[in-house]
Amino acid sequence: MIELQNVNKVYRTKTIETTALNDINLSVPAGEFLSIMGPSGCGKSTLLNIIGLLDEPSNGSVNIAGTSVTSYNGKKIASFRNEKLGFIFQSFHLIPDLSVVDNVELPLLYRKVGSKQRRMMAEAALESVGLKNRMSHYPNQLSGGQKQRVAIARAIVGNPDIILADEPTGNLDSVMGNEVMDILTGLNSNNNTTIVMVTHDENMAKKTHKLMRLYDGAQVK
Amino acid sequence: MIKHIFKLIWNKKGANFLVLLEIFLAFLVLFAVLSFVFYNLDRLSNPLGFEIENRKYVLFGDLEEMDSLTRVQSLDLMKRSLEDLDLVEQVAFSNDVRPFGGSNYCHGNDDMGYHIEACYGVVDHNFIETNGMNIIAGRGFLEEDVTAAFEPIIPNKHFMDEFYPGQDMIDSIIQFQGEKQIIGVIEAYKYNGEFEESDNRALLLDRSEDDYVLTTAFLKLDPSADISFEEEISNTVQSVLKTSSFVIQDAPLLSKRANLETWIPMVALLSICAFLCINIALGLFGVLSYSISKRKGEVGLRRAIGASGSSIIQQFTMEIVLLASLAILAGILFAAQVPILDLIDVEDNIFYRGIIYAAIIILVVVTLCALYPSIQASRIHPATALHED
Repeated sequence: MIELQNVNKVYRTKTIETTALNDINLSVPAGEFLSIMGPSGCGKSTLLNIIGLLDEPSNGSVNIAGTSVTSYNGKKIASFRNEKLGFIFQSFHLIPDLSVVDNVELPLLYRKVGSKQRRMMAEAALESVGLKNRMSHYPNQLSGGQKQRVAIARAIVGNPDIILADEPTGNLDSVMGNEVMDILTGLNSNNNTTIVMVTHDENMAKKTHKLMRLYDGAQVK
Repeated sequence: MIKHIFKLIWNKKGANFLVLLEIFLAFLVLFAVLSFVFYNLDRLSNPLGFEIENRKYVLFGDLEEMDSLTRVQSLDLMKRSLEDLDLVEQVAFSNDVRPFGGSNYCHGNDDMGYHIEACYGVVDHNFIETNGMNIIAGRGFLEEDVTAAFEPIIPNKHFMDEFYPGQDMIDSIIQFQGEKQIIGVIEAYKYNGEFEESDNRALLLDRSEDDYVLTTAFLKLDPSADISFEEEISNTVQSVLKTSSFVIQDAPLLSKRANLETWIPMVALLSICAFLCINIALGLFGVLSYSISKRKGEVGLRRAIGASGSSIIQQFTMEIVLLASLAILAGILFAAQVPILDLIDVEDNIFYRGIIYAAIIILVVVTLCALYPSIQASRIHPATALHED
């Protein structure tokens, strides 16, 4: 499902060159739940951004869902992200001026799904994370755990093949973190969704199928 | 997408209110100024009705104090003396109602059940030709009209269209300060200047038995006559009148001065409007740039879930354009009351044009101001935006 070969990422300024990722090779088959761990600044988020097509590698190849995406242009990448990928972020990234259900509908808006169909799919996604009764609330009326569940509903509403989660439990206490983790493992086991999760939490990483460790931008063997 | 953007605007109504109010007020100011400008430009496009190039006017001061016989003799001598000058082509006389003179004689009375009203000038039989006036029906005054059975009158087209629309009234007798015979129709006579609104005007012929005093001479000069020729005119007039109580005026200069009285406020108001538009543009530009910098995370998120760069430009531009459209709509509701309720006695289409052009200008300014920050937003790297938020 996800194939990375000899991926490097180097950030250059006039005076300094920083290697964020160094020769990463990664293969994640469909239905796998992979966690990525490592100290701050080791390149975890950069790797996740490259898998999520939010960033480009300096060199190497990226193959997602059987498609080599390296040559894709902006519009094609946007459409690919919309159909194949779902994102969950540590800081939720909910739009404060939109209600819960409108936040969840967002990916479908860019897929040009009709409004009735959009509402139906958003309601189903919210029901699957146990928040159907909070549909018309606004993000500032929710707890951290609830916000993350809304973000999960938004990530799954378009039935993506892959979910990319960047420290999804990082801002939550252990109880809420476990709740979120349960939803993610449920998605993986019930829907066979491929999940790549960046985390700092060993306990959360233990719940995944496979763990990849990074240190200074390189894979720890 | 439009419904989504309306939702965003509505949910941020508190923050958007001041922008909405600013655009609403700007629309009303622009509407008022543009209506004023259109009103004046419409007046300017109507014919003046007489020539001003190579024309000079001589205003006499002491004629009213003369007895009528002396006055007639003086004017006759004056006419012949002026005509004798090499560069004078034609000479005519009128009463105080002269181009750019600021005097008005107006009269109204009933005629066959209609109330007719017009301002008029009293002239001699050379007046129309000397001033290059355009006769659109009938004829001008002749010397023998002075002794005709009926006093002749030459109204303008506006007068005929208002009181006798579609009728051939040449040689008809009408009531206007007694019985008058219409012998011709002139195209126009906007003696207060090019910006004067077309109104009912008429020319009456001076007949010595009337009480009118001809106080102005009109000279049509050869194009080669320059400013130094005024001295010859002055010497001639002085030798006839034996007094220096007269003024020589240059018609193009008078016209220029009269026009400036309208152009100056018009240009001043348009400058204020341009300044207002620049202020709005800069204000909106600042607000949008700040708002987009505060919404970097949202931009990153939208890019992550499938928005292309053009979708981002479209969304942010549409947000402000829709907001401006709401403000303009509110403005139109107010502005449209002026023509609907006939609050000002001016043609309705001037106000409707004011509304349309004000709306277009505001929308263009707003769109241009929104485009640059929106393009900047579309260039935000999604990974950076998501990380920064």
